[in-house]
Amino acid sequence: MAQLSLSRRPSRGPWRVTRSVWFAMFMREAISRTMADRMGWFWMLFEPLAIIAVMVSVRGLFLSGSEVAGADHVPWLVVGLMGYGLFRENMMRALGAIEANKGLFAYRQVKPVDTVLVRCFLEGALKSFLFLLFIGIGTLLQFDLMPARPLGVMLDWLSLWALGWGAGLTVSVLGDLVPEVGRVVRILNLPLLLLSGVILPVMYIPYPYREYLLYNPIVHGLESMRLSFFDGYHTLDGIDMTYLWFWALSLIALGLILHLRFAAKLKAE
Amino acid sequence: MIEIRNLYKRYHNHHGSPWVLEDVSLTIPDGVSVGLLGRNGAGKTTLLRLIGGMDTPDRGEIVRESRVSWPIGLAGGFQGSMTGRQNVKFVARIHGADDEIDAIIDEVEAFADIGDAFDEPVKTYSSGMRSRLAFGLSLAFDFDVYLSDEATAVGDRAFKKKARQAFEARIGKASLIMVSHGESVLREFCQAGIVLEKGSARWYDDIDAAIAAYHQATDGRVPRVPVVPRTHAEAREGLNEANRDFAEAKAAFEAAGDDPDREAEDDTLRWRLEEAREAMLDARRHVQRLRTPAQKTSHRNSSNRKPPHKKRRP
Repeated sequence: MAQLSLSRRPSRGPWRVTRSVWFAMFMREAISRTMADRMGWFWMLFEPLAIIAVMVSVRGLFLSGSEVAGADHVPWLVVGLMGYGLFRENMMRALGAIEANKGLFAYRQVKPVDTVLVRCFLEGALKSFLFLLFIGIGTLLQFDLMPARPLGVMLDWLSLWALGWGAGLTVSVLGDLVPEVGRVVRILNLPLLLLSGVILPVMYIPYPYREYLLYNPIVHGLESMRLSFFDGYHTLDGIDMTYLWFWALSLIALGLILHLRFAAKLKAE
Repeated sequence: MIEIRNLYKRYHNHHGSPWVLEDVSLTIPDGVSVGLLGRNGAGKTTLLRLIGGMDTPDRGEIVRESRVSWPIGLAGGFQGSMTGRQNVKFVARIHGADDEIDAIIDEVEAFADIGDAFDEPVKTYSSGMRSRLAFGLSLAFDFDVYLSDEATAVGDRAFKKKARQAFEARIGKASLIMVSHGESVLREFCQAGIVLEKGSARWYDDIDAAIAAYHQATDGRVPRVPVVPRTHAEAREGLNEANRDFAEAKAAFEAAGDDPDREAEDDTLRWRLEEAREAMLDARRHVQRLRTPAQKTSHRNSSNRKPPHKKRRP
């Protein structure tokens, strides 16, 4: 019988085991995310495209004439939606990660945190690929989608990813222990979209309220990315990536602590 | 060797949380197959899950110095939207197979014997196909200790036989820790036994002693250790006894009725019935074997006269 001869090989160290698990999980998630659904690829492309089309037409109808200072409207919207989508998808995918993979905890090598980490990594990789694709297509269609400072855009992109990662790690635990958390997070999606300056430019907010907007770390990430993208873009004073990273690292640390503390509880059915 | 030290486990629920396992300390030596016995809810499956590392104890620890499998035939670890092949690949990868991956897949495919369905999503499988796949997957890895939770009970007769043979081929190289209500299965595969009762566990070096202790603690029935009869008269007597047992078990089973609380996997009465049926069939086989030629012909005549609607078991 052709068996995997476990007894003849030296026992694997923890890091080797973790790497095997991550690789296996990644392949599994990648296949089920892209291939399992009918037209999975198509929707992945078409969904953001449709949202952008709807937003552009809404603005054309109701807010014609109002311009974003220093940027064309469509590229401005694409950058905002992609950046916000990166954060949101990381958070939302992580929220369902543990529940969806409960069956796998039968293999004791798989820990709850692995499912979240792998999902966030895959989601970020897919979104990055999509963003590049959008930039390419947009440029071919003669939208001004070429970043003015590509390195800055990359850094901001990674920062938003890290923020989503931290939020995902945290809510995945809380959402599994207290199901209501998941519901609240889902409800928060819409206000967060509006308060992050994705659709409505932050400069439209009346002056006295702008300082409150700056408590939202996503605003910092998005506006910083737009600053890197468009030369001569005007935005709020006080955009600070350190503030975003403070949030991102705190959330990642909190999420990892929660995963460590509640590992046993998350595994139990 | 698996060492269990001062193990405590309980599940939290709304009406108090009694210990399922309370201060259990055991050492399971290498190469000894062990049967876990205990009434429903005594913590057999909990202990098995803890040994397999699927669950963490509240207090105490389990030291595994050998390679322990996941429960054999576990079908919960499959992703429904992915094919059997992809699922097998996943598990092989987790266990660190790099070059052997194709060999493992081939072997599982051959053992599960589900044909083209191997490349269909697992959610389209029947439960029988699922457990075939799961069983084949468990046997593709050579663990030192296999865990089994009523596993040999799955599948049709031919598959059961195949599974049993696969198990038997493994004995000597690997051992087994099994939860089963089937006493003949336990007698066949296990040398030692653990009886769980009111949160504590007792080790017995001999599985027959464990079965006897289990019955003493629960229903007071004295278990019948199967003896091979040597004469026809003995065999007939054995058959009568087995028939009586079967009738008794059947009556008890039917009296319990269709209580929805009766968990199919964990139903003691159902198992007792199955046991009695097996014993009866065995006894019948002994009678047939020990019959003199004259009796055989007379029996054949009598069986010809039987009304045709009377079904005989295969």
